Amino acid sequence: MTRWFEDIVIDEVFSLGSHTFNADEIIRFATLYDPQYFHLDAAAAQHSHFGGLVASGWHTVSVGHRKMVDALFAEEERLRGEGREPGVSGPSPGVNAMEFKVPVRPGDTVSYELVVTGKRASNSIPGWGLLFNKLTATNQRGELVYRADLVGFSKLRDYVMPLRLRLLLALTKMPLIGPLLKRGS
Amino acid sequence: MTNPVTRDRRHFEDLHIGEVIDLGHIRVTREMIVTFAREFDPFPFHLDEAAAKASLLGGLASSGWQTGGLSLRMLVDSFLNKVASAGGLGFTDLKWKNPVMVGDTIGGTVTIADLRRSESHPQWGIMSLDFDVRNQKEQPVLTMRLANLVETREPGDQA
Repeated sequence: MTRWFEDIVIDEVFSLGSHTFNADEIIRFATLYDPQYFHLDAAAAQHSHFGGLVASGWHTVSVGHRKMVDALFAEEERLRGEGREPGVSGPSPGVNAMEFKVPVRPGDTVSYELVVTGKRASNSIPGWGLLFNKLTATNQRGELVYRADLVGFSKLRDYVMPLRLRLLLALTKMPLIGPLLKRGS
Repeated sequence: MTNPVTRDRRHFEDLHIGEVIDLGHIRVTREMIVTFAREFDPFPFHLDEAAAKASLLGGLASSGWQTGGLSLRMLVDSFLNKVASAGGLGFTDLKWKNPVMVGDTIGGTVTIADLRRSESHPQWGIMSLDFDVRNQKEQPVLTMRLANLVETREPGDQA
């Protein structure tokens, strides 16, 4: 979350809130990113094993991401309100695993929850740490919609770049040596 | 129990391990990036050029979820809508290798890495697909292994 890497507590649970999916948004997302008949056309979807229109898994996951971003922003605001400087989160390097379980149908309300399961300093990007998060999405009947093992970046508060790294960084910005160093890394 | 929508499509028995699917290409515009980011990923580095320049991304780049969505879109157009697809089961080892910047054109290949019949549901097979999505400079952008269900033509028979 929007905390300095050092302040992130393992096993802390964050409720990210919920979202109710309607048919229009399911079809709108599918038209752009996943135009398979069971995500697009309620009549044709009757013939699929879903028996009706269902949201693209990528859609339910994208909404889950939005919920996580909103929670980060809220946390940032809360910290500023307390007169503290919030941490910095960065882009994600990837997702280790994603499992789609129960499909999302129009009218379903999906609740999202995040747990930080682990963290370590990044080997490749000095000054940043890696966070390992488990995200679960559950519908209004308590059925698991999906679960994901996510990886995120968070900035270290107490990081001082070693002299040799500072020198290397300065060298990579030089026109002749820089491209050679980058190719080698 | 024939599905009229998928009847004339390729079924599980028609697929082969090692088959390579050409994804075609999509050009990613500023408009696309900002529209997706507003709805699903409103970090300043996906919305605003100045904030993006100061971030780890180094410039306005698409949300990783949008890059994944566009990769899926290319797969649906080039392959999944010609196959008796019954939906995705999930994926593993998704890696965002390089950011997709405004004006980049992404494309690449998907390879059928594995095919096996579902033990619990004889009407389905499970297809594993390896994504290799690249930008116009041939730099890797996204890799992942997606698991997707495909209807079998002859439930229970060995392919």
